[in-house]
Amino acid sequence: MMTKIGLIYSFNTIKTSKNAEKVKKAFGKDYDVEMVNVEEIDEDSFLSYKNMVLGVPTWFDGELPNYWDEFMPAIDDMKLKGKKVALFGLGDQVGYPENFVDAIGLLAIALEDRGAKLIGFTSPEGYTYERSAALRDGQFLGLALDIENQAALTDERIKAWVEQLKKEF
Amino acid sequence: MTVKKKYSIKGTPKKLLSEWFNLMTLGRALDEKAPNYLKQAIGWSYHAPYAGHDGIQLAIGQIFDRKTDHLFPYYRDMLTSLSAGLTAEEVIFNGISKDNDVAGGGRHMSNHFAKPEWNVHNVSSCTGNHTLHAVGIARAVKHYKGKGVAISSQGESSVSEGYVYEAINGASKEQLPVIFVFQDNGYGISVPKKDQTANRKVADNFKGLKYLKIFHCNGKDVFDSMNTMTEAKAYAAENQMPAIVQANCVRMGSHSNSDKHELYRDNAELSYVEKYDPLAKFRRLLIRYKRFTEAELVKIEDDVKLQVKKAHRAGLTAPDPDPNSIHDFVIPDAYPAEKYPEGLHNETGEPKKLIEGLNETLKAEFRNNPDTFIWGQDIANKDKGGIFNVSKGMQQEFGIERVFNAPIAEDFIMGTANGMSRFNDKIRIVVEGAEFADYFWPAMEQFVETTHEYWRTKGQYSPNITVRLASGGYIGGGLYHSQNIEGALATFPGVRIVYPSYADDAAGLLRTSIRSKGMTVFMEPKALYNDPKAQAVVPDDFEVPFGKARVRREGTDLTIVTYGNTTHMCVEVADQIVKDLGKNVEVIDIRTLVPLDKETIIKSVAKTNKVLVVHEDKVFAGFGGEIAATITEEAFKHLDAPVRRVGSTFTPVGFNRILEKATLPNTDKIYAAAKDLLDY
Repeated sequence: MMTKIGLIYSFNTIKTSKNAEKVKKAFGKDYDVEMVNVEEIDEDSFLSYKNMVLGVPTWFDGELPNYWDEFMPAIDDMKLKGKKVALFGLGDQVGYPENFVDAIGLLAIALEDRGAKLIGFTSPEGYTYERSAALRDGQFLGLALDIENQAALTDERIKAWVEQLKKEF
Repeated sequence: MTVKKKYSIKGTPKKLLSEWFNLMTLGRALDEKAPNYLKQAIGWSYHAPYAGHDGIQLAIGQIFDRKTDHLFPYYRDMLTSLSAGLTAEEVIFNGISKDNDVAGGGRHMSNHFAKPEWNVHNVSSCTGNHTLHAVGIARAVKHYKGKGVAISSQGESSVSEGYVYEAINGASKEQLPVIFVFQDNGYGISVPKKDQTANRKVADNFKGLKYLKIFHCNGKDVFDSMNTMTEAKAYAAENQMPAIVQANCVRMGSHSNSDKHELYRDNAELSYVEKYDPLAKFRRLLIRYKRFTEAELVKIEDDVKLQVKKAHRAGLTAPDPDPNSIHDFVIPDAYPAEKYPEGLHNETGEPKKLIEGLNETLKAEFRNNPDTFIWGQDIANKDKGGIFNVSKGMQQEFGIERVFNAPIAEDFIMGTANGMSRFNDKIRIVVEGAEFADYFWPAMEQFVETTHEYWRTKGQYSPNITVRLASGGYIGGGLYHSQNIEGALATFPGVRIVYPSYADDAAGLLRTSIRSKGMTVFMEPKALYNDPKAQAVVPDDFEVPFGKARVRREGTDLTIVTYGNTTHMCVEVADQIVKDLGKNVEVIDIRTLVPLDKETIIKSVAKTNKVLVVHEDKVFAGFGGEIAATITEEAFKHLDAPVRRVGSTFTPVGFNRILEKATLPNTDKIYAAAKDLLDY
């Protein structure tokens, strides 16, 4: 049976959507990746996935985008034990070096608090920034993408990350 | 593990959510309506829209308790003010500058919302200026064991102002319950915040300050803002320590109605700031989490429309201010000084030095009124009391809470005086504005601000402060220990300026200054502190009313009008002239520059018909020009000669004694001018 994965992100985004497509493609045909629009999601549909990949770009000086932020009160009451969650997010390490991909960290910690198992941690090597809420014990709690400054590395990073996820899901 | 927060979309009572939605909808309706008043030429010519700051502004107003706290909103704080309790009518009265504007009857700019009666303070348009006032009033809250906190609100760019650092440093040093809120929308008018400071979050610049706790929140989110402000208030009140709350906002509109943000923000940015509209987000949450139905929210929105209509009608029919009222509330009435109504006495006994007169009067007034305070640089350390020891022994007698050193920051000294005085009108504050008058310039912004308070609030707040400044030259002090700044200060309405030259007048004027409401600049001619020439017998209870000149020597042939150091020179010259020329020169020591005793001057001119005006300050643009012009305007018919002036050259004062002598007036220069006039 194919592993089912909910790939949840905002369909109204341009950059995150583009990279979500790349993530889906990297999983290949052996995985049942369902694209889900976070802007329309409800608790039941979120909880229907055991395996999730979440797209969460960082807004302003280290905030969740509204569509995730407005879903947080729902997450706060969820029981996520048994769920595996991987996060990817766009950030700008040159423009916002003090809050690079913070949103990955904010969402990851909230999910972990509710019992989810976080997977898909990555090395911060190759990025230059000052601080990140996504960094814990020397690793990012997900995949950091910086298409503003390191666009050329994006495809390779996604590919490697998805290969890692295939082992961790 | 995340901590359970007090406020959340699911847990907050519906009634409270309803109040918040009403306030936010009302605020936004007024914010959007404000530009129409300008378009229709009704008013509100200054409007800084707050849209995008909704979460944090709601929260500031909600945590403010008018019985115990003090709120200092800035010019973008419309929702803050509504949330703190101002009505839609009160917002519109201020916006279109009506007489019943509770901030100050249309005297201050529009969009400067205040209600002093409720401790929502009326603040300057100078950005960040009120941070020092918040610190000053927090000092009083702590001293009088109040339960409240001071909340100062400002944009993130105004944190660049030097006095904001001084305020936060002072609150840290004194461990004061102040919450500094930085509403960060990323811009100071058109200037992006990266051009202000290196840290994107300017609050991080203050990380090293002891006792200070820094909070960050999403100012666009009601619940995050409410929780953060609640935590910050608890921290400040319980620990009696300062906090900073940096709230991340967006500015959905231009800086103000004179700014066009399309000139520097691209379409993508304008579109995402719209998308992050905090009110729309709050509304979505209310529906999504089933706290309200669409119909319920529409009902509130419809009700807001009616509230705005009603307030609008009240605004249009409200009275305008009376043009004849402009002279009201420039400065409050002074202490009447009824014991010595002319500021004269016949006391006999042991003469005292001028410095003794000051020291003893300060101590007497501090004994008389327990709500007196004095601070400044170098004001008290063991046997040292002030740079010239004027306040010697005061800290030992009155304690460190009433007599204390301030950091070397003149605007902090001045600004916190303005703040502390707001606590109640029994408080009387004396500050050494600077070690020397020459160093008062950094305090000028706070000084000017303080001169405005009484008028701007239409008499609701009077800063009751005596600013002592050691002034003038003749000590070989050079450019920075010789300046006379009274001419410059006299150009500001809202302050009295006195400049005694004898010990008794110094004591009497100081007593009257300390007992009076309003601000008085008390110039001390430092060259005379210990000079035997300035010694006089000082009655223990001596009082000198403001605006009463003293004729130091009577005469019939020439009037010399003077004050300060040169009074003694003029008396000497007059004594010499009677010996040399047999002419009698009248010497008037004005003692008070503002208010000026025109009556005594004109009466003398009518008798002598010739006038020489002498002061130590520069002739060019010095206060003597005002005296000369007044005489020319009001007593021209009595003049037999042009009004002459003697004072300093239009140069700085050189350090070398030869240069100093060439610059400052002296008896030779005064004698020559007096003789010329007598010969005219």
